Amino acid sequence: MRKRTFEDYSIDTIVYALLIVIFIVTAYPFYYLFVISFNNGLDTGLGGIYFWPRDFTLANYEKIMGDAKWTLAFFVTVARTGVGTLLGVVFTCLVSYGLAHKGLVFKKVYFSLFVIGMYVSGGLIPFYIILRHLHLLNTFWVYVIPSMLNIFFLFIAVSFFREIPSELREAATIDGANDLKIFRSVILPISKPLMATMALFLGVGQWNAWLDSAYYVQNENLRTLTYRMIEVINRGNIPTDAVSIEYAANAVRVTTYSLQVTSMVVAVVPIMLVYPFLQKYFVKGAMIGAVKG
Amino acid sequence: MKLQTVKEHAATNKSGHSVSLLWKRFRQQKYMQLFVWMGLISLFVFHYLPMFGILIAFKNYKIASGISGIFTSEWVGLKYFKEFVNSYNFETIVANTLGISFLKLIFAFPVPILLALMLNEVKDGLFKRAVQTASYLPHFISWVVVAGLASVFLSENRGIFNNLLLGLGLISEPIAFLSDPGSFWGMAVGTAVWKESGWWTIIFLAAVSGISPSLYEAAHIDGAGRLRRIWHITLPGIRGTTIVVLILAIGSLLGGGLVGSNFEQAFLLGNAVNADKSEILQTYAFKVGLSQGRYSFATAIDLLQAVISVILIFGSNWISKKTTKSGLF
Repeated sequence: MRKRTFEDYSIDTIVYALLIVIFIVTAYPFYYLFVISFNNGLDTGLGGIYFWPRDFTLANYEKIMGDAKWTLAFFVTVARTGVGTLLGVVFTCLVSYGLAHKGLVFKKVYFSLFVIGMYVSGGLIPFYIILRHLHLLNTFWVYVIPSMLNIFFLFIAVSFFREIPSELREAATIDGANDLKIFRSVILPISKPLMATMALFLGVGQWNAWLDSAYYVQNENLRTLTYRMIEVINRGNIPTDAVSIEYAANAVRVTTYSLQVTSMVVAVVPIMLVYPFLQKYFVKGAMIGAVKG
Repeated sequence: MKLQTVKEHAATNKSGHSVSLLWKRFRQQKYMQLFVWMGLISLFVFHYLPMFGILIAFKNYKIASGISGIFTSEWVGLKYFKEFVNSYNFETIVANTLGISFLKLIFAFPVPILLALMLNEVKDGLFKRAVQTASYLPHFISWVVVAGLASVFLSENRGIFNNLLLGLGLISEPIAFLSDPGSFWGMAVGTAVWKESGWWTIIFLAAVSGISPSLYEAAHIDGAGRLRRIWHITLPGIRGTTIVVLILAIGSLLGGGLVGSNFEQAFLLGNAVNADKSEILQTYAFKVGLSQGRYSFATAIDLLQAVISVILIFGSNWISKKTTKSGLF
């Protein structure tokens, strides 16, 4: 290798400095949330906390866990994530397995219908009208039924199923298995990586969703974590006066602010836990997403 | 006459034969067909019915008339489009939509490319991975949490960002980013860039890694420095990817382009105080539709945005084909 030039040194310095800044700017906010969530809310109000809790407490978490509104929201979110992911994966896989069938009658028609469905959308208002007339509004099902079919993953799954050697199917057919049985005992077991990927991405989508809870549901018992967070954030955004009234009203160690931050930690932690697994798959996903748009 | 009947007979016989063959195959794959049809039903209900629902933009639709009302209610032509164009806040809303969208295109589009170029210059694998891991984590976080982070960090009285600016002496008074209308566009662009840049960097990094190392070696031997190698090899090498991503960004311009999220931001960070700068077509349509029950009017606004988007994607593709000889379709 030749000697490093002045140019090499200056580029390295600038690049490393900028990347360190980017690392801090993207990672520190999450770290800060953890710090504040473990600090006494009133003490946080005094300011000056950046790197570790000054007045360590679990009061914020106790408050959230002791509040029926928040625990219920947590369980609704867990339920919609679980049910929504399961339904989405199973349903999308079934449909794509059918579509991937060799010599499927009307295959071309079906494919064009799904492609058009992926690219053309009717917009939010007509969608809302349909939900309303199907009586899905204000039910738990509005969280999981409309998103059961994921057209993007449908096409990924179709190409996955097509890769499966047809000998596998043929062997099972000779053994007297019908299509349903083949799907259950031959196809499903070898499709685990596909389904794991789908489950991760659909699960994150379900966990993060907020519009449906805010607008398609009025029943207080069906509100999700994201909705409760919107509530607190809106309260916190009203400038100083309202906040100080909140402080005065809560002559405890928990404030609206510390509660907001703690709820954000609760919402972020599950994502962070699955993040390493997401990372494994999403480079491929991003590439396909780019082509798809 | 006689010949004709024979011919017709033969024709019906033949087609009858192939129909029955088709039917036989259909029966054989009945489970597969059942699976597909379950999907078609879901597709029809949640994708196609809303598409037909766009018709109500041209109709006097009453919610009580149900789904069939989409087709049976009376036509009113462009009444709702005219009403919106003539409404007092039309200009503000269109200006906000276009303003935020173009700012995002200008600022959000180059960031992932720059980030990819910088990451490509890093030889230390661990450092590179750490920066990447941190930079695309926000992509997986809900917009609600990002709005919460904005309210925590940009707050006027205790936000770290204000503290930082004050500490560096860049400002003398804290800025009320969250309520000051003048700050909304910048905040929208900034938070979106923060959330999505790392994610889009993956695509550009993949494109960079597809460039043959021998090109760099040859340039090195010819005495080209690192900047010149970036300029003459890396940038031309990712040109195809850049054009495709740019067309995608322009196609989804009104939704926020690459970083998207115009709707989420206007909803979650917009409030009564900054409404003059935060109300956009989508949120306005949604609010008018759902809170005032003016479904036809709201759909007309949505449709207006969709039409502009279609024009943008075809237009940018056309320009790209003319100027660079490559396009998306």
